[in-house]
Amino acid sequence: MGIITAGKYEGQHPLHPKARQILLDAFDQGWADPAQISAQGRQAQALLLQACESIAKSLGLQASEIELWGEPELISPVAIWGAPGFGSAPFIYGATERSEIIGMRAKSKQSFEISVDLDGAIDLELLTQTLQPNSIVAIQSANIETGVIQDVKAISKSVVAQNAHLHIDATASGARFVKPSYWSTLHFDARSWNGPSGVGVFALKSGARWSNPLPHTKPTRAPNSFSIPLALAAAGALEHWIADEAANSARLKSLIERIRNHVKQTISDVDIAGNAQSTLPNIISLSFLNVSSEQLVAALEVEGFSVASGSACVASALEPSHVLKAMGLLTHGNMRINLNHDVQDGEITKLLALLPGIISKLREN
Amino acid sequence: MAQELDCRGKRCPLPIIELSKKIKEIELGQELLFISDDPATAADLSAWARMTGNEFKVVSEDNFLITKSN
Repeated sequence: MGIITAGKYEGQHPLHPKARQILLDAFDQGWADPAQISAQGRQAQALLLQACESIAKSLGLQASEIELWGEPELISPVAIWGAPGFGSAPFIYGATERSEIIGMRAKSKQSFEISVDLDGAIDLELLTQTLQPNSIVAIQSANIETGVIQDVKAISKSVVAQNAHLHIDATASGARFVKPSYWSTLHFDARSWNGPSGVGVFALKSGARWSNPLPHTKPTRAPNSFSIPLALAAAGALEHWIADEAANSARLKSLIERIRNHVKQTISDVDIAGNAQSTLPNIISLSFLNVSSEQLVAALEVEGFSVASGSACVASALEPSHVLKAMGLLTHGNMRINLNHDVQDGEITKLLALLPGIISKLREN
Repeated sequence: MAQELDCRGKRCPLPIIELSKKIKEIELGQELLFISDDPATAADLSAWARMTGNEFKVVSEDNFLITKSN
């Protein structure tokens, strides 16, 4: 059953079938180094260029603004690290950012965490008050655990007034991300559009100031050590994902709404992260009071559903999800649903029929 | 004197589950000293109080004074 993600917080959906074919063909063929002047090298370079142009176009960017990275988790830290004045300039980030972004505060002499409300929305007034002309701001467009979308347009408006650096982590929203008019650096992950893991996109806005903090000898920002077959598959997956999204976005949104309404009506003492208007159409996070996530995950597994959880007892850590904590939501009894385009309506019907009984039984234990 | 619920050494979600059971045994307006050293307790206690309509005060790092208000 493919409706729900397991394991990592990020939706590890199966690779798009078309992307899988591109990947297998590419691995079979083998690739020369695109930097070499051999015929095979030139062919690899041409295909790579085509893939980059396709990815840029799909994301509404110029090809010259993007570079592919083989280690996507490093993109946000490097983008922030290379922002003008990082280290001494004020570093401002949201309380629900990914851990590797929050971790950058250790490298900054002045860092400010901006709180979020119960719905997960960043305190825009506090952000605006904290901003200074040389600040570096790191904000996510949406949260991978809860699906909560930030008002990036309003944030961008505040940041542009101070001409500060704006880094946006778009790894959760992927191709659903709508760029504001002002931004400096962006981070995408191919997994968000059912591409392979191990391919990320680093975008630097034309004309934005940024200097590479890594040791480098080439004019490119990226180390360029990514796998060419994976890059080609990422481009193919993105094209197909956009076509699938056009056909399925309304359906996914209505399925998530159905889950939200059914759970509210049939199960008491539940925290549902975010509100329906400001969450991604494919993600929902539910926390049930007095329920063990470990037992909930196991009970759903028996029924054929594979779910993720941010609760400490499942995440192999003592500390619970910093995202749920920052929002003031219950951190135990948590389950996350991340719908893929191929989810069947019947799968949700089955899940919703089972869930109230499972929760009730677990609460009796 | 307030009753006591000592959940030291117990891991999430046991302390909150035990608190939910214990609160049923006390009278409205009565206090309960809840002791828990689980890192998730402080965050979950805020959510628990919001969801159940009860109140709490942080006495020290692992000690919380609960007032049955609902």
